[in-house]
Amino acid sequence: MIPASFEYTRASSVGEAVRMLAAGGEDAKVLAGGHSLLPLMKLRMATPSLLVDVGRVRELSYVRDAGDSLAVGALTRHFDLSRDELVARHAPLLAAVAGQIGDPQVRHRGTIGGSIAHGDPASDLPAACLALGASFVAVGPSGERRIAAADFFTGFLETALAPGELLVEIVVPKATGAGWSFQKFNRRAQDWAIVGCAVVRDGSTRVALVNMGASPLRSPGAEQALAAGASVAEAAERACDGLEPPSDLNASAEYRRHLASVLVTRALAEAGGAPGQEASP
Amino acid sequence: MMQVKLRLNGEDRQLRCEPGDTLLRALRREGCFSVRYGSDTGETGAAAVLLDGRLVSADVLLAAQADGHEVTTLESLNVATGELHPIQAAFVETGALQGGYSAGAMVLAAKALLERSPEPTDAEIRDALSGILDRETGYAKVVEAVRRAATALRGEKPGPLDPPILEPIGLEAALAIRPPADSTPDAPLALPRMVLSPDVGHTAVVGKAEPKVEGLRLAKGNAAFADDIELRAMLHAKLLTSPYAHARIVAVDDSKARALSGVHEVLHHFNTPHVRYASGGQSWPNPYPYDQVSFDDKVRYVGDRVAAVAADTPETAEEACTLIDVTYEVLPAALSASEATGDGAPVIHDETDSVGIYDAARNLSHHIEGQTVSDEALEAAFASADHVFTQSFSVPAQQHTPIEPHAVVGWLDEDERLVLRSSTQVPFHLRRMVAPLVGREVKEIRVVKPRLGGGFGSKQEMVTEDVVGLLVLATRRPVSMVFNREQEFISSRTRHAQSLTFRTGVMSDGTLVAQDLTVLADTGAYGTHGFTVQSLTGARGLSSYNCPAKRYRCDVAYTNRPVAGAFRGYGAPQAFFALESHLDDVAAAIGLDPIELRRKNWVRTGDRLDIVPRLGERGGVEDVSEEDLPVVTSCGTERCVAEGVRAIGWQRRDDPSWRQPDDRPNIRRGIGLALCMQGSGIPFVDMGACSIKMNDDASFNLLAGAADLGTGADTIFAQIAAEVLGVRASDIIVLSGDTDVTPFDKGAYASSTTYISGMAVKRAAEAARARIVERAGRLLGIEEEWVELRDRRAWAPDGHSVPLEDIALNALHTEDQEQIMGIASHWSPDSPAPFGAQFAEVEVDVETGEVTVTKLVMAVDCGVPINPLTASGQVEGGMIQSLGYGLTEEIVLDGQGRPLNAAFGPYWIFRADDTPPTEVIFVQTMEHSGPFGAKSVGEIPIDGVAPAVRNAVRNATGVAIDTLPLTPERVWRALQGR
Repeated sequence: MIPASFEYTRASSVGEAVRMLAAGGEDAKVLAGGHSLLPLMKLRMATPSLLVDVGRVRELSYVRDAGDSLAVGALTRHFDLSRDELVARHAPLLAAVAGQIGDPQVRHRGTIGGSIAHGDPASDLPAACLALGASFVAVGPSGERRIAAADFFTGFLETALAPGELLVEIVVPKATGAGWSFQKFNRRAQDWAIVGCAVVRDGSTRVALVNMGASPLRSPGAEQALAAGASVAEAAERACDGLEPPSDLNASAEYRRHLASVLVTRALAEAGGAPGQEASP
Repeated sequence: MMQVKLRLNGEDRQLRCEPGDTLLRALRREGCFSVRYGSDTGETGAAAVLLDGRLVSADVLLAAQADGHEVTTLESLNVATGELHPIQAAFVETGALQGGYSAGAMVLAAKALLERSPEPTDAEIRDALSGILDRETGYAKVVEAVRRAATALRGEKPGPLDPPILEPIGLEAALAIRPPADSTPDAPLALPRMVLSPDVGHTAVVGKAEPKVEGLRLAKGNAAFADDIELRAMLHAKLLTSPYAHARIVAVDDSKARALSGVHEVLHHFNTPHVRYASGGQSWPNPYPYDQVSFDDKVRYVGDRVAAVAADTPETAEEACTLIDVTYEVLPAALSASEATGDGAPVIHDETDSVGIYDAARNLSHHIEGQTVSDEALEAAFASADHVFTQSFSVPAQQHTPIEPHAVVGWLDEDERLVLRSSTQVPFHLRRMVAPLVGREVKEIRVVKPRLGGGFGSKQEMVTEDVVGLLVLATRRPVSMVFNREQEFISSRTRHAQSLTFRTGVMSDGTLVAQDLTVLADTGAYGTHGFTVQSLTGARGLSSYNCPAKRYRCDVAYTNRPVAGAFRGYGAPQAFFALESHLDDVAAAIGLDPIELRRKNWVRTGDRLDIVPRLGERGGVEDVSEEDLPVVTSCGTERCVAEGVRAIGWQRRDDPSWRQPDDRPNIRRGIGLALCMQGSGIPFVDMGACSIKMNDDASFNLLAGAADLGTGADTIFAQIAAEVLGVRASDIIVLSGDTDVTPFDKGAYASSTTYISGMAVKRAAEAARARIVERAGRLLGIEEEWVELRDRRAWAPDGHSVPLEDIALNALHTEDQEQIMGIASHWSPDSPAPFGAQFAEVEVDVETGEVTVTKLVMAVDCGVPINPLTASGQVEGGMIQSLGYGLTEEIVLDGQGRPLNAAFGPYWIFRADDTPPTEVIFVQTMEHSGPFGAKSVGEIPIDGVAPAVRNAVRNATGVAIDTLPLTPERVWRALQGR
């Protein structure tokens, strides 16, 4: 359980990090909190030749009011996210989700950018960002671009980030006063979800699911049903349409489908908002 | 190499590191031994430190990432010799440290919490501790420690730590209580409640909540554990384990590994001695089969030993392991006991030189039989029964998961004797067993047992020491080997998985007339402990209740799975899950109250336990005369049930408005019960010994062979000796488990330490006391029989007294000089059973199948608890370990025998924030054969929670689930089928 040898370098700015990544080529990896990457390296499932530590890029740790949205720096730690007043007011779902991740040590080190860039279908923050309709700002050698959360997660641990690109900011539309809920079904408090469900109702309803496919994803079945005026029960029943949840030692695919429909029901109930409100903001 | 600049415990430091060095590695290199290895990726929290004041796990942080930051370890609090910071003091006083392996992490978590929240709620405390796993305490006392520390740091005085005394209640009166449906469980108690017995006399030190004698070294994170020493030129060993479930090793090419710079030795089948042995640390002669060798030419499970490397660094050793070329001939594998015992199964032990395998061709390591009547009489009893019920159960392989993995450091001393500083529960057995494997005589080996960070039976096994011994002798260098977490899960030991079938004949009034228990057990690749564990399954399955006709049949099968071995409870948890679940269902089926059915049959004081002496490989009705049957000499079952009924609010289980709360339509509530019993040592076999000598200041050195594995054994030894000698527990300096220094002891297993070793301590103290009172009589001018020792003085009946210190000085220096000392050993023909009544309250989410345990109550008769604090710590921790057995824990393999959950996370053990409130009640009985009335308490708490929870789920939902663990999906599927 010792990682293969690698070079380590520390960036002090976004520009420097991007240059270092470019110089490191394909085998260079960004190191933020390290809670996703270091375990993979110890298992030799990741063997980067160069780690670019962005932990000291202080310009990336912030939560800012950006008018219609909140701008969250990629290096914002889960712990800080869970206690941020702006987040609590305008995106309480994000604060609730961040506060339930792992344990204090994980929340003290883990970063939102790291969690998003890792793209783990079992992670909660990607689902929260999907439900919030967030978008992500990436900086690469050819400049900056913005990617909608809905287009970001492309496969198992795969994202739309190009090699050499650094995720720098998460843009979260303000959902002040919107209905929301996060339902996490797990075997131990704060642990990885077996299935999770994040819902935001701000005129339309977005339903995102944790651990229900190869990537973090939204439930088209539930969302379309709600948009068409279906009841909560009907929407929950269609929550897994088209999804292929995994079978593993925690849950079979069949049980995951059942859990997803239970959690969607509970999340929609908690988020409030009657059916039929879908079209009118 | 790189330079890392950081501020460590208030000092600016520059550390030389490799890029891949974790902060854990770097800090231990700097002598911060309080930061400890528990896992590689943060799951145990044993390596937690403060980074800029925030708790982080140093095993999942590169040292380089700490550059420019402030790092704080427990050592920062250790400013004065012999003194404790208030947080450390609170951890010691409350008994929050058992093994104390993660003390540094816990104290730092508390410190960070209390700095930002001086009056934390319990939920905040539990959240702050939630990333630090504790397999020993059950967390109740850790939470209490943080509460007390908060009080002390606010400048207030924490309350006393005396266990509350309960007015006893009779069973009828308890059953008549009708608690209101909305009554909430009591606040969790970190102290046990006590129900006293009039048969127990006054004591000054025994029976008191004394702090642990090793509290200081644990609370300060001092270098107390096996791996906490670094020797000059020390090498690091790593094990290469099998990727196949079953394969022959055709060839090993170690040339590339040996060519790697920094590699000193590579051991494998083709260059090591071939000596058959059994790895279980048991008394001589070790039970059969001898079916292992240090490095065999065959691997029998994924995780089996293939080779070992000693190198300058752990990294090099690990790298070298990947360079060993092994040619395997892969064989078909048998991955379950039924598969292994079926037709056409591959023969797992096809070697010709193993000794004592029952039937190798059929993959049976053992066969066990025992019955109290003939087969014909048994069938006649079944024929006479009003009802006959047959029910089958299945229980999985649970892993011990001590937070400290197996660790051993070996070296040659200046006389070239092999010293093994090992995290072992059995130092003396280990010395004898390892000698032939490393080709040395017993006298050429010394085993030293330091503090242990949990064992639970896994360290009753020799799984690392022969390898380290061979490497030390091959390299003539000190060698350290620490299992990584995956190896701890797979390559150490597990609990035996079993399938059990009970057939029970019962009359309509609940009287049992026939019990027939059949078991198929899975011992994994090797048969260690296979006979004794499964014998105990029979003993425990068929002893709790009187019944005129009993039979036990058991096959123990080899499989290509991780090796099963000793695990706290030792066959009893399996038996009690089946027995107590079955009896609950039998009671329901014949319309009896579950307590009534049990009360009709449970054993009482004076009853004889008739199955135990009849269990053996021969079977049949052995010629055992009535007077040779063990007798129950003390039994508090009925009083335990009464106390538990009162504490849990038993009658709510029949209240529909409580069971189905109006405001939570998806929830059903229930309460369940399970009774249990255990032994106190192995009669006629277990022996412990102790010597005591008196020093100038009337302190005493107590040397005991026993192996405290975090349970508090050393502390109760001090209390027992202090009680006899009329001094304080703190006047006794305990050293235990060093084969060169202390007398023999069989070690820490079979619930024997308090009862057997404790009695040896008492006798040794009495021998020393005899010398003291003789000299005191002379000094006081009275007959010695009139001398009384208390408060560190010897007293005459007329009130004259002389300080013990004067007697010590007189004896050592001035008059008729002698070393006042005593030495004694003890064994027992008896193994008096502790009894327990376990209650569980649950909520079942019928939509998801999730079972949430909302309260656990255990009332225990362990005779007289010598130390209610450490004893209740055993019960709390045992209950939570048993809760894991019931709800979450199971080693799962894929179709090729590869582990799917050999890591915390996928293998779920409970943590501080999801552990239910626990309540412990000690119902005193006087066990005259034990020291000051004591029986054992270490194992009985592991027995009852799983069946009590299962019965509570049935009470809540009507669904009976006979397979552990009760995972949400399993419960959901059962609910679908109802």
